[in-house]
Amino acid sequence: MTAPKANAMKKTTKPAGAVRPKLAQEGFFGRSGYFFARALANLRQNVFVSVVTVGTISLALLIAALFLLVYVNLEGLANGWSDKVQITAYFDKEPAPLAVAALKTTVKSIPGTKSVTFISKQEAESRLRARLKGQESLLEGVNADVLPASLEIRLDREHRDNFAVTHYVAALKKVQGIGEVQYGEEWVQRFNTFMNFFRLMGLLLGSFLTIAVLFIVSNTIKLTIYARKEELELLSLVGATRFFIKAPFLIEGVLQGALGALLSLLALAGCYFAFLHNAGSFLGVNPAGAGLSFLSPLHLAVILGGGVLLGFIGSLTSLRRFVNV
Amino acid sequence: MIQLHNVGLSYQPEAAALSDINLKIPKGDFVFLTGQSGAGKSTLLKLLYAELTPTRGQVLIDGQNLTRLSRSQIPLVRRSIGVVFQDYKLLPNRTVLENVAITLEVLGWGQRDIGKKVFHILKRMGLESKLNSTPLRLSGGEQQRVALARALVNDPKILIADEPTGNLDEENKEAILDFFKEANNRGTTVVVATHDRRVIENSHRRVIRLDKGRIVDQGRIVDQGETGSAPEESAEVADDSTQG
Ligand SMILES: Nc1ncnc2c1ncn2[C@@H]1O[C@H](COP(=O)(O)OP(=O)(O)O)[C@@H](O)[C@H]1O
Ligand SMILES: [Mg+2]
Repeated sequence: MTAPKANAMKKTTKPAGAVRPKLAQEGFFGRSGYFFARALANLRQNVFVSVVTVGTISLALLIAALFLLVYVNLEGLANGWSDKVQITAYFDKEPAPLAVAALKTTVKSIPGTKSVTFISKQEAESRLRARLKGQESLLEGVNADVLPASLEIRLDREHRDNFAVTHYVAALKKVQGIGEVQYGEEWVQRFNTFMNFFRLMGLLLGSFLTIAVLFIVSNTIKLTIYARKEELELLSLVGATRFFIKAPFLIEGVLQGALGALLSLLALAGCYFAFLHNAGSFLGVNPAGAGLSFLSPLHLAVILGGGVLLGFIGSLTSLRRFVNV
Repeated sequence: MIQLHNVGLSYQPEAAALSDINLKIPKGDFVFLTGQSGAGKSTLLKLLYAELTPTRGQVLIDGQNLTRLSRSQIPLVRRSIGVVFQDYKLLPNRTVLENVAITLEVLGWGQRDIGKKVFHILKRMGLESKLNSTPLRLSGGEQQRVALARALVNDPKILIADEPTGNLDEENKEAILDFFKEANNRGTTVVVATHDRRVIENSHRRVIRLDKGRIVDQGRIVDQGETGSAPEESAEVADDSTQG
């Protein structure tokens, strides 16, 4: 026994040598280096199960991401269309120039109005002429008076469904001087109905997918934990807190989730640039011919976050069974 | 100081593994716990580091009642107790160094301090050439010493060992017992369960004998000059007729 208490020299008066040198900082951040190192070591030791977990997560997220991609594009399309949808309120007779401003204010005060444009008789006529360019002869002898003055109204996004539009029109008709009101084409309404259905489908599919993936992930992670049952037991017996035992596994889950999400995004980008990005013009849905657009950074972040969350919750639920010592 | 009051423990409703255990082990003592296989030695040891909680009675360590601890307090108690498990519980996929380091990692020591301390104790145990081996490549005696190093590296207040000489040859037994004595000389309370008569006879220490879950002999307390009141206390406890 040369210097068995070398550490004890620093400080302590405890007889039985419960000697502690300076601690690394307590808490998660103080030990995060240790937790990360353990998590990485665990990943390396259980390559197969890790691959399965990462694969499951990335497959599930890929399905979700593809769905999201289609959804976002359809939604964009729907927005484009319904931006064009407007209500046109025709005047029985052209209002006096001074009254126009007041009328516009009145209409604007109806909830749901986004913008109001006044189209005078003259403007209506010149529009018609412009549209029939080259075939002006058709208009010969047509009196400009035939075309009525009107208000073109765009609605807020939230007021574009059938119900809201009906309400809006009812309110509009009460405005003095307004006669006939034209709005919405039927196919746009149908498209909106379809989008609602699609959203519902997405929600159902999403929840189903989430539950299935959570189940699979938590079970594969359970396998890795089961393989290390004796380690967990030993840690507990030498005085590790439950947090200390769990933290590396949670980090492992988060890393797996993040990796799975990155892989799914790579696969998504691959699919997209391979053929989807010009599928739009092929299908003829997008008249601009720009094809489907890719997901926004926000959506990508959401998918990444989803992966991290899946891994975390998967680890957490499977740990509950084992770390209760 | 370890105290057990009227402790009983049943794994199954009908059969008690321990009953009416009253026991005091003063600080700095060195005791053997003996008895036939199945007498309840391991069970009693497990009560001391709260792997088991008694069905009846109280277990106190330095006045702290283990039966009243919350789940989050148990780790703190275990950190001051070093245990050499009967099956060692060495992690097969970690090196000797890493196995011993676990005790200190749990305490939150920094890597540098851990390295120094672990190397120091393994050297003392004659294992410096095996630092990077995995446990399965070691002999039984070496594994035992790694387990002991892991239990002692933290300079625990109490050292508990379950059949530590079980499958060791004479030479290794001697070596292990010497390490126990050394730890005891530094103030650590040592409790060793063994059914090895030879080990007990050679050591001249207090021997507590169990039979069918009951204490049949409290043993003679060896006054080591630190705990003057121990003999009377133990006499009182040993007197079975005064106990419930
Ligand atoms: N986990 C357990 N479940 C049920 N019975 C057990 C368990 N562990 C031990 N026992 C029983 O408790 C009694 C005492 O066992 P143990 O403490 O291991 O004795 P010893 O260590 O003295 O050989 C024995 O009868 C044994 O069969
Ligand atoms: Mg035993």
